[in-house]
Amino acid sequence: MNFKKQLHEGLLTKNPVLAQLLGLCSVLAITTSLFNGLGMGLSVTIILICSNVLISALRKVIPSQIRIAAYIVIIAGFVTVVDLMLQAFLPELAESLGVFIPLIVVNCIVLGRAEAFASKNGVLASAVDGLCQGIGYTVALVIMCVIRELLGAGTFGGGLLNGGEGIRIIPEGYPAMQMVMPVGGFLTLGFVIAGFQYLTTRMRDKKMEEAK
Amino acid sequence: MDGYLQSLLGILLSAILTENFILVKFYGICPFMGVSKKIDTALGMGMAVTFVMALASAACWAVDALVLQPLGLGYMQTVAFILVIASIVQVVEMFLKKSVPALYKALGIFLPLITTNCAVLGVALVNVQKQYDFLRSVINGAAGGLGFTLAIVLFASVRERVDKADCPESFRGYPITLIAAGLLAMAFMGFSGLKIG
Amino acid sequence: MRKQNTALYILKLALTLLVITAAVAAALAGVNALTAPRIAAITEQKTKAAIEKVLPGGGEMLENYTDETGLVTAVYASESGYAVQVAPSGFDGEILMMVGVDKDGNVLGIDIISHTETAGLGAVAAADSAKGEAFRSQFVGLGDGLAVEKDGGQIDSLTSATITSRAVVTGVNAAVECVKNLG
Repeated sequence: MNFKKQLHEGLLTKNPVLAQLLGLCSVLAITTSLFNGLGMGLSVTIILICSNVLISALRKVIPSQIRIAAYIVIIAGFVTVVDLMLQAFLPELAESLGVFIPLIVVNCIVLGRAEAFASKNGVLASAVDGLCQGIGYTVALVIMCVIRELLGAGTFGGGLLNGGEGIRIIPEGYPAMQMVMPVGGFLTLGFVIAGFQYLTTRMRDKKMEEAK
Repeated sequence: MDGYLQSLLGILLSAILTENFILVKFYGICPFMGVSKKIDTALGMGMAVTFVMALASAACWAVDALVLQPLGLGYMQTVAFILVIASIVQVVEMFLKKSVPALYKALGIFLPLITTNCAVLGVALVNVQKQYDFLRSVINGAAGGLGFTLAIVLFASVRERVDKADCPESFRGYPITLIAAGLLAMAFMGFSGLKIG
Repeated sequence: MRKQNTALYILKLALTLLVITAAVAAALAGVNALTAPRIAAITEQKTKAAIEKVLPGGGEMLENYTDETGLVTAVYASESGYAVQVAPSGFDGEILMMVGVDKDGNVLGIDIISHTETAGLGAVAAADSAKGEAFRSQFVGLGDGLAVEKDGGQIDSLTSATITSRAVVTGVNAAVECVKNLG
């Protein structure tokens, strides 16, 4: 288990959203304010760590034929726990994220990591993996939220700063409201991934240059 | 027209157009991106998803109304629904393998992946959230599937041309696909003025 | 002999899955027991606060009322009038709101309990900001048959949120209709 390596992977080379292109439903749907992005990112990270740990601990006990069904049940359990906790202690966030909280069950990232990592590695490594992938996911979400909120509503920190209103950066009437609508979601993600691919290609070319 | 029938029509039209499951509500994105390169595969996938969604809506509604609510197990919704959906997909898989092997082969890995399609679980949850009765739930599920099919078939025809065109290196693959999807979403925005009912 | 083994094996698989599901269910029952009272209290408090906002002094839940629109979810009555809870469909899902109506069918006030409208656009209808207040106070004193200016009515919609505004208007109309039917 190499924390630095796993973090590097989670953020860059194996970023669940930007590199692996998983969990896109939530990335497109809820990234309209910083509050949503951080809240969802935190929720998914917690679920990733918990489910990775439990599945890793049980990996030798769960028969292979039913492993996917078993993983789904375990993940659904943790998702429900987070759902109930949010409803009880952070009702505004629960309302804002709506049906996308229970939909974390079918978020390909969580099931994907369970199958690709937790089922084959130790408990501590799996916990770290959950954390790093979760961080990568949250970073991608935050980037999307900041861009869409800024260009779409003209504010920064919606739901969190300035008593929920967010700090107004672009005067009212100017922002392109399409950005917080579906079309904006697709376009923003397209450009962000393009930018990310450009970045990683540059980094890879640089490494190859240095190796020479 | 009778008020109830009118509301059914309303649900049908809104799930397909004004609140299209992929392009407006963002359900079902993963398969949307992955499958839609050829029109006939897209159509087959769409039909399979529509069938699963209608069946899942019916089954989940029944489980919620007949088992979960009476026993006060509302909090088990997520777990119960996803198990129901996984079972339905498994059964559909076995059925297709025996009866329509060509489609089974063409869909490949995307068939079991219908289980993790946000649209299927999403519509089941939305049905109980909006407290729809049985018929409304099934219509919503089927209509959502039809909207999904419409979106991926449209998208497949767009992608067939995009894949043959020149494209800057950073944009190849998902980025240009997403931008194309965005333009399609923008087109669907035109439906939002549609007054239903 | 082999058939028996396979059947037994499948049974073993099914039982393992059942055990895991049962364990998860038990854990969830525990968490639910801990959180349910709090969640119920939050919902009750929200409804009470909303009633209070549109019908000072609160009201008692009414069992019998007629509603042709299908949008009314609850009615509370007091001496000064009624508080009607309606749930019209907005841009992105239902908007749960409370409409206060006096006995003559005039709006006392509206309050938005919950919604999933777009942040910064339709969400302004529910916001505590000056814009939100201005939007909501338009309805005070008006009767039924309301519409946004685009549809020939007198209500100014929110910027870039015509659908949300229309939905609120529909909700108010439904509430006033309901009160009128109460006679």
